[in-house]
Amino acid sequence: MRAFLLRLRRNEEEARPPHAYLGALGGAGLLALSIVFIVGGYELGVGSLRRLGTGAFPVITGFILAVLSLIVIAADLRDTSDAERPDWISFAAIGAALAVFALTVGRIGLVPGAFLTVITASLPDPSLPVLGKFILGAFVSLACWALFIGLIGLPFAPFGGV
Amino acid sequence: MENLIGFGNGLLVALQPENLLYCFVGVFLGTFIGVLPGIGSMAAISMILPLTFYLEPTSALVMIAGVYYGAEYGGSIASILMNIPGTPSSSITCIDGYPMARDGRAGIALFGSAIASFGGGIIGMIVMAILAPGLAELALNFGPTEYFAVILLGLVAASAVSNGNPIKGITMVVAGLMLGTVGVDITTGAERFTMGIPEMRDGVHLVIVAMGLFGVGELIVSIRANAKGAFQNEIDYKKFYPSRAQWRAMFAPILRGSGIGSFFGALPGTGQTVASAVAYAVEKKVSPNRESFGKGAIEGVAVPEAANNSATQTAFIPTLTLGVPGSASMALVIGALMMYGIVPGPRLLVEHSNLFWGLVASFLIGNILLLILNIPLIGLWVRLLKIPYRYMYPTIIVLICIGVYSLNNNVFDVWLTLAFGWAGYLMRLFRFEPAPFLIGFVLGPMMEEQLRRAMLLSRGDATVFLTRPISGILIAITVILLAYAIASALRARRRARNVAAALSETEALSTSKKG
Amino acid sequence: MKHFLAMSAAALVFAAPAVADPGKWSDEPVRIVVTFPPGGTSDLIARVLAQYFESEYGQKAVVDNRPGAGGTVAADFVAEQTPDGTTLILGNNAPFTIAPTQFEDLPYDPMGDFTHIAYLGASTPALFVQPSSGITTIDEYITQAKGDGITYGSSGVGSITHILGKAVDIELGIEQIHVPYQGSAPAIQDFRAGVLEAYYDMVALNGDLITEGETQPIALAAPERSAAFPDIPTFRELGHDIVIENWTGLSGPAGMDPEMVKTINDTVAEIMQLEPVIERLAQFGVEHTPMSAEDFTTFVEGTITTWEPLIKAANVNG
Repeated sequence: MRAFLLRLRRNEEEARPPHAYLGALGGAGLLALSIVFIVGGYELGVGSLRRLGTGAFPVITGFILAVLSLIVIAADLRDTSDAERPDWISFAAIGAALAVFALTVGRIGLVPGAFLTVITASLPDPSLPVLGKFILGAFVSLACWALFIGLIGLPFAPFGGV
Repeated sequence: MENLIGFGNGLLVALQPENLLYCFVGVFLGTFIGVLPGIGSMAAISMILPLTFYLEPTSALVMIAGVYYGAEYGGSIASILMNIPGTPSSSITCIDGYPMARDGRAGIALFGSAIASFGGGIIGMIVMAILAPGLAELALNFGPTEYFAVILLGLVAASAVSNGNPIKGITMVVAGLMLGTVGVDITTGAERFTMGIPEMRDGVHLVIVAMGLFGVGELIVSIRANAKGAFQNEIDYKKFYPSRAQWRAMFAPILRGSGIGSFFGALPGTGQTVASAVAYAVEKKVSPNRESFGKGAIEGVAVPEAANNSATQTAFIPTLTLGVPGSASMALVIGALMMYGIVPGPRLLVEHSNLFWGLVASFLIGNILLLILNIPLIGLWVRLLKIPYRYMYPTIIVLICIGVYSLNNNVFDVWLTLAFGWAGYLMRLFRFEPAPFLIGFVLGPMMEEQLRRAMLLSRGDATVFLTRPISGILIAITVILLAYAIASALRARRRARNVAAALSETEALSTSKKG
Repeated sequence: MKHFLAMSAAALVFAAPAVADPGKWSDEPVRIVVTFPPGGTSDLIARVLAQYFESEYGQKAVVDNRPGAGGTVAADFVAEQTPDGTTLILGNNAPFTIAPTQFEDLPYDPMGDFTHIAYLGASTPALFVQPSSGITTIDEYITQAKGDGITYGSSGVGSITHILGKAVDIELGIEQIHVPYQGSAPAIQDFRAGVLEAYYDMVALNGDLITEGETQPIALAAPERSAAFPDIPTFRELGHDIVIENWTGLSGPAGMDPEMVKTINDTVAEIMQLEPVIERLAQFGVEHTPMSAEDFTTFVEGTITTWEPLIKAANVNG
C-alpha cells in the first residue's frame, strides 16, 4: 500500500504540468452552470417589472455570468504559462474522509466516526506509519468527544446511532 | 454631556464584579469557539442562552455580547492560521493573513489582527456611545431601495478584493450571486434549483460554502505543499511584535477601516461583510503599500479586522433601538432580552438606560480583556503551526466535519461540504478566488430580496433607485468606482501594449543593426 | 463548561427533588425539538417548558433546535424516533397545518406519524396601518385598497401573516399587494421608514408601537378581543369571519403509550397554570387554553382542513 502510494506520487510529480489553457475548463464549467440557471430561470418565470418573478434574478445573473465566463475562457486560452499540478490523490482522500464522516456519524457515533475520518484522511500520507495513524485517530476522536460533547454540549451521540 | 454621564454610569455597571466576570466568560468562550472552524457565535450564544436565564438582564447581555465580539476575534485566528473563515467577514482577513502565516509571519499577523480588532472595537464603541440615536435614525431612513444601493456598492467593492485577474474576481462575485438563489424563493415560496431535495429548500448554509471553498479546498492544496516542506521550517514563532514601521503602516488603515465599519454596522443585515469588503477595497486603492495586498500585507489584515469589529459593535444599534436583528446571533440577543420582558425598540435607550450604557461600557472592558487574553496566546497559536501537517490536516478535517454537522445535526450538510470542497480545489486549479464568490453568495439573496421588494413597493417604477436621495448618492458612488476601475484597467492595458510595442521596436532595431 | 455552569446555577436556584415524581415520565433526558433556531418565541417557550419539567418534576429535558424547510426537517426527524417519550416536538402550524398543503412531497403524515399530546396556547395577529394615512376603520381600509391599492408586509410567504392577508383578500373582496419579509421585524422597519403602507403581525409584539402612536391597529384575527388590547376590535365583530391564530403544542412520534401521553398532558397543564409561566408567555402574546390530548388531535386535524383553501390562495398568487 505504502509503496504503491509512493510510486503513485512519484509518477504524478514526474508528469508534465498541465497547460494553463486548461484553465478555460473552469470558465466552461461556469458557462454551463449559467446556462442551467438561465434556462431554469425562464421555466420558473421572470414575471413583470413590477412583480419580478422567481426566475428573474437567476436569469439576470446567469446572463452576466455567461458573458463574463466567455471573456475568461478567451483570456485563459491565450495563456501560455504552466498551470498548477493537480493532486488527485489528496483530492480523493479528503473527499473520502468527508464521506466517511457523513456515513458514520449518525450510525455508529461521533467517536468511531471521527476515528475513521482521521484514518481515511491520512491514508495517502506515506510519512505517517499505520500505527501513527491509529494513535492520531484515537487521540483526535477522544479529544473531540471531550470537547464537543462534554464541554460544549453539542447534542451528538458519542457511540451508536442517534 | 448626557452621553458622558450615561457612559460613566454604564462604566460603574460594567465594572461590578459579577458583570466583569460574565464579560470575561463571554469573551473567553467567544474567542475559543470562534477559533473552531464552523462553530461560530451562533453556537456559542445558544450554548450559554439557558445559563443566562439565571442572570440579571445586564449581565446576560454583557456576556452574550462578549461571546459575539469574542467570536469575531477568534474567527480571524482560524483565518490566518488555517485559511478557514469562521465568519463571512473574516474571509477577507484570509486574503492577506494566510499568506503572512505561510510566510512565517503568523505571529505578526495575529498581533496586527488583535490590535486592529481592538482599535475597531473601541472606535465602534465610541461611535455607538455618541451616535446611537442618530444612527438608529439613519437605519430608519433605509428602505429597500437604499439597501439595494448599499449592497451594489459592496459588490463592486468585493470584486476589487480579488488579487489575481480582476475579470475573474467579478466573475466569481456574479457566480456567488447566481448560486445564492438556490433554495426557496422567499418572495414567492417557489423552489429554485433544489433538485427536489428538502434540505436544499433553505439554500446552502454560508458556513458550508466557507468551510468547503476555503477550508477543504485549501487543505487539499496544502497536503502536498507541506509534504515538500514548502512552508514549515522558517517560522519565527517568537517574533510577533510588529516593528515600528509596521505599527505606523497599520495606524491609518485601522482608522479608515473602523470608520467604514461603524457606518455599515448600523445597517442591519449587510453589516460586517460589506464593511470588511468595502474597507479592504478602499484600502487597496489608497494604501501606499497597495502593491503587496493579497501577498501578505499587514494592512490587508488590519483593515478588515478593524472594519468588522467596529461593525460588530455598531450592529447592536439597530438591534437594540429598532428591534431589527441583522444576523442570527443578533436575533438571539433580542430573544434573550425578550425573556426578561425587555422589548428592544426606541424606548430601550430611555427606559433601560443602565442596560444600554452598561453594555456600551462593557465593550470597552471586553475589548481590553480580549487584548490581554489574546496577546499571550499568540505564541501558543503560532506554535500550532509547528505541529507537522500530517497530524494537523486530518484533525482539521474532523473539526470541519463536526462544525458543519453541528449546524442542523444533518449529515446532508457534510455531503454538501464535500461538494463545495472539491469545487474549491478546482477553483484554485483554474485560478479563481473563493473570497469574491463568498461575498457574492452572502449578499446575493439580500440584493434580490431588496430589489424585488423595492420594485413591488414602487409599483414597477425603476427610477426610485435614482430619485430617492440616499440611494441616488450611493448609486452615483458605485458608478464612479466602477468607471474608475474600468478606466484604470484600460490604461494599464494600453501601457502594457505600448511597452510591448516599444520592446518589439527596439528588438527590430537591434536586429536591423545586426543585419 | 456549559454543563458545569448550568448545573451549578440550576442547583443554586432550585433544589430538585431526588425522589421519582408522578409528573416524570422518563428516566432518560427528554429532548424537545424546536423547529426554529434559538432565540425565537418558539425556542423560548421550549426552554421555559424544559426548565419547569426539570425544576418541578425532576424530568430532565433539553432543547434541540432543528430549523429548516418550514419546520418539516424537525417534524420529519421526530416522526422517525422511537415513541418512548424521550423525543417530543414543539409543533406549530408551520409543519403540521401549512406544510401538508404547501408541499406535495412531504415525507411525513401530520396525523398518522405523530401522537399529538398537549396544546400550549396561541397568539393572534392583527392588521396595522400607517397612522399618517388617516385610516382607522376596516371600511376606510377597504376603500383605500379598492382605490389606490395598498401594500402590506408579512413575515414571509406561507407564513401565518401571509395567510391572514389572503384570508382578508378573500373575505373583504379586495386585492392587497403582498410584500413578504423574513420575519416581522424587518417589515416593521420598512413600515416605519414609510415605504410600506400596512402589515400583519402578532399584536403582543407591537404594544410599544401602538402606545407611541407609531402604528394604527385596525382589526384582530382572534375569536374575541384581547385582554391586553381591549380597544382593538376583532374581524368577527366587524362582520368579517376571519380567525387565524398561531398555535403551539407538544407532539411526539406515533404510537406513544396513552398513559404516558396523559402524564405529559397533565404535567404541561399544571406548568401552564404557574404564575411566572403565564406571565412569560403573555410577553409573547401566548394565551393558554386547557385541552385534552384527544381534543388537541382533533384541533390539529381541524386546522389542516380549514386553512387549506387559504394556503392554496397564498401560494398561487405570491
